[in-house]
Amino acid sequence: MATKGMNLCNVCCLLLYVITAVLAGRDFYQILGVSKSASIRDIKKAYRKLALQLHPDRNPDDPKAQDKFADLGAAYEVLSDEEKRKQYDTYGEDGLKEGHHGSHNDIFSSFFGDFGFMFGGNRQQQDRNIPRGNDITLDLEVTLEEVYSGNFVEVVRVKPVAKEAPGKRKCNCRQEMRTTQLGPGRFQMTQEMVCDECPNVKLVNEERTLEVEIEQGVRDEMEYPFIGEGEPHIDGEPGDLRFRIKVLKHPLFERRGDDLYTNVTISLVEALIGFEMDIVHLDGHKVHIVRDKITKPGARMWKKGEGLPNFDNINIRGSLIITFDVEFPQTQLDEPQKEALIKMFLSLGIQALKRHS
Amino acid sequence: MGNLGSGCAVLPRSLPTILILLSCVFGLSLGTELSFVTCGSVLKLLNIKHNVRLHSHDVRYGSGSGQQSVTGVTAVEDSNSYWSVRGTSDALCHRGTPVKCEQTIRLTHVNTGRNLHSHYFASPLSSNQEVSAFGDEGEGDHLDEWTVLCGGSVWKREEAVRFRHKATDALLSVTGEQYGRPIHGQREVHAMSSPSQHSLWKAMEGIFMKPSENPMGSRDYSHLHTEF
Repeated sequence: MATKGMNLCNVCCLLLYVITAVLAGRDFYQILGVSKSASIRDIKKAYRKLALQLHPDRNPDDPKAQDKFADLGAAYEVLSDEEKRKQYDTYGEDGLKEGHHGSHNDIFSSFFGDFGFMFGGNRQQQDRNIPRGNDITLDLEVTLEEVYSGNFVEVVRVKPVAKEAPGKRKCNCRQEMRTTQLGPGRFQMTQEMVCDECPNVKLVNEERTLEVEIEQGVRDEMEYPFIGEGEPHIDGEPGDLRFRIKVLKHPLFERRGDDLYTNVTISLVEALIGFEMDIVHLDGHKVHIVRDKITKPGARMWKKGEGLPNFDNINIRGSLIITFDVEFPQTQLDEPQKEALIKMFLSLGIQALKRHS
Repeated sequence: MGNLGSGCAVLPRSLPTILILLSCVFGLSLGTELSFVTCGSVLKLLNIKHNVRLHSHDVRYGSGSGQQSVTGVTAVEDSNSYWSVRGTSDALCHRGTPVKCEQTIRLTHVNTGRNLHSHYFASPLSSNQEVSAFGDEGEGDHLDEWTVLCGGSVWKREEAVRFRHKATDALLSVTGEQYGRPIHGQREVHAMSSPSQHSLWKAMEGIFMKPSENPMGSRDYSHLHTEF
């Protein structure tokens, strides 16, 4: 009896689930692989990682690649916008008021650049004769906190874009040798500037937002390219824009590879009797330190797993190495204090008096 | 880009007109994602009167200080016209912080790593104060410091601003003198003591850093001295 009831219950539940799944549309959180409480940064990070994996050019054998990629774009478009996300959370995909605005291309190129996508950041130039605008490489200063936790930097790119204009213009100008005949048997060779005729263009400044990811564990001098976002060329392709990471010095932590080094000063008494303290880490979490032995100046403590995440595998972390410095009293001791000190150490049997006789 | 349509000139007489007016205003303000210049941004500076962009290159002055020359070029697409907006060595300016009017900054030439610089040398064509590019990898000396002079509280991208050289009080200017070979057609950039139409500049093409949220846990360390 109980089993029959349970089976009916299960079937009902399954039916209900299927109905809601069908009615609710796509699960954008699942498509991006993030939780319902994901921050905007988590969402951007997830999109960037998946976009590289799911791009149709990268999956030529998968017939569903276009759809998967389109789903990803739709998911990002909704979840990255506060208003749309609220509507989606309450009413599902069908509850979204308007249709999709920006094309997925716009979203994709704000993370990776503009001009037809080439994997690996390298251009495969089919025709080497196409002139290309200059590349722009600029330093992007990042803090150690950003290296630890990751971050996204929004950047507004203002660049000239070629727009149609009335008339014609001279293009592909080059020097050519012309031979003219001056008379019977007499020739002259001259250099002449020869141009083609092209539709006229004018350069108009346009702007767009780019998303630069500061990946966890990123190292100094690493570069993030944005294809086609460099200097334009009126007769050819634009160059690329490259962000070169520059990690700023931190006042408390020093980076060496994936390890972090920091100095802590303890008192003379703490050095002798031990101590307990918290060190506040780069993301605000506390590292608890307990010491119940004597600590010499310059002594080091290793805290595994409290260093920086490794860029290639963020599940591996370096260590935090704490070097202890001992603070001695600031004011000189007077005679009664000196005598009391000698007496105390003698009576306690602590080896702290003369080393040599 | 702002929509400066003729609708803005219509006097509000009824609700639809008011709505048009409102959307006009919002259109103007929403036309750009970032209306001011921030530290860490890389940009081209246009001299408004002479329509040339501030430029430098690996060519030295033949007279004066003999340092790397700074000129004005007419071309729009020249990657040697990019300058990075940075704080001074005493007052760091964090990435994405808006540049305030009267703030002192350094302008670092992106391709050569030298800072916009001036000193008491005569410029080659007009005998005004020479402006050069000086330093190595973004570090020069106190003569690299310039004060941004603008109207409001921050340096707006759309605004015409002036740059006053901190040490000599002279203003970055162009008066139209042109060089011959090997930099034919480029204009002389120099500094002059009195403000004029020749010393107005505007932020143009570039890569502008938006202010970003600090990751969780970031703190202000300005009260501490470094232990290293």
